[in-house]
Amino acid sequence: MSRTPVYIICSPRPLVGKTLVARLLGEFLLLKDGAVNAFDVNLKEPALLDYLPGITETAEVDDTYGKMALMDRLIVHDGITKVIDLGFHAYDEFFKMSDEIGFMKEAARRGVAPVVLFLADTDRVSARSHATLRQQVPATALVTIDNEYVVRGELPEAFSHGPVLRIAALPVFLKTYIDRLTFSFTDYLRHEKDQSTELHQWIRRNYLSFRELEQSLILREP
Amino acid sequence: MAKPVVIVVGADKGGVGKTTVSRTVLDYFNANNVPTRAFDTESPRGTLKRFHPEITEIVDMTSTSDQMKIFDTLNAVVPSVTVIDVRAGLLSPSLASLRDIGFLDAAKSGQITFAVFHILGPSIASLDEIAETANFMQGAKYFLVKNFINNTSFFEWDQATYNSYFHRIKDATEITIPKLNEMAYEQVEVASVPFLKFVANKGMNEDAANYSFVLRGYVRHWLANVWSEFDRIKLTDLAGSKPSGRGGEK
Repeated sequence: MSRTPVYIICSPRPLVGKTLVARLLGEFLLLKDGAVNAFDVNLKEPALLDYLPGITETAEVDDTYGKMALMDRLIVHDGITKVIDLGFHAYDEFFKMSDEIGFMKEAARRGVAPVVLFLADTDRVSARSHATLRQQVPATALVTIDNEYVVRGELPEAFSHGPVLRIAALPVFLKTYIDRLTFSFTDYLRHEKDQSTELHQWIRRNYLSFRELEQSLILREP
Repeated sequence: MAKPVVIVVGADKGGVGKTTVSRTVLDYFNANNVPTRAFDTESPRGTLKRFHPEITEIVDMTSTSDQMKIFDTLNAVVPSVTVIDVRAGLLSPSLASLRDIGFLDAAKSGQITFAVFHILGPSIASLDEIAETANFMQGAKYFLVKNFINNTSFFEWDQATYNSYFHRIKDATEITIPKLNEMAYEQVEVASVPFLKFVANKGMNEDAANYSFVLRGYVRHWLANVWSEFDRIKLTDLAGSKPSGRGGEK
């Protein structure tokens, strides 16, 4: 890919599956590219760091030092995809700062392709935040994640703009299974011989969605 | 040919951001392709000269020879705009000197365009300065600058009191300089380059620099806000020019 993707996984709401998506995407990119840099912006309760310590570092946007440490790395076109698990505490500050410093425009200039993966929810805060984000992020770079486990039913009208990536709900026992800190999606694919299991198919479906997302990124490259 | 323009930036109080405002004015004219020269009266140190060495000269406003250097050359030199960064405590004496040498009369009769950027501090003393400065302002364009760059809060001011001072000067215009992120401000200080060069990630000699993208973004955003204030007061009109499409803004 001639541009370096930066995936920002976010929601103004807690417990909507941000870290799950970050884990899935992180493992997918690691499997595909062999390298990925992940940033866990959840200082109050680091989550991605616990699951993928080998590729994840913590970051913060509470002060200027933290912003510099994070953003000055995100803006580098080095061919290594970045994944940011943006905690809901940091949501407002991150996008306020990103708007103020002109992150989207500068990224486009430097060959970096930010993609915002917004976890939908049925509340008004999510709908409003999505609408605000649409003013800052180009339509093709704002992808709504329809996490069936959270939305449960039809995606609200507010999220009908732009591409949608669907993540099917897993049965509770499987959710508990994948929530274990030692669980790895890729290891499961490699070691589980029975490809017909629900979890096997769920992981493959999600990896396929990410691949399609990447392809759509390549297609819109200038 | 456009009339020569003299812009005095000053305050009687120190540390209110006179040089910072002067720097934004010089960057603004530079971005709008208006030839400008500057005089720094902070002799012998010259903070403004550190940031804009090529167009700045350090002078002593109280010396006759330096007054001649500034005012006798207004019509003779190419730059149409002269910016004078007046050191703390010298605004009123400088204006008195300008009156004494007949400069204010020349401005009043329209031979010269004269503007004063009076940088206000948060204290009541700044309001007294307005009253003092008002006596010299006939024929001049008077801009009262509220400078929030260092997160100043104008806590000592009662708005009614401020208004009573503000309205003493006919056609006074208020300008607001917004706050700039402290670290961004500090990094520009350390780099000792004009704000414009910092935004463009360049050193003093146009060499490539390596400033933080975040800090450059903050400076770019802030500078765009400052310049929108200058656009609002039609600063380039003073020099008979129009704001041009500028680079470096968001």
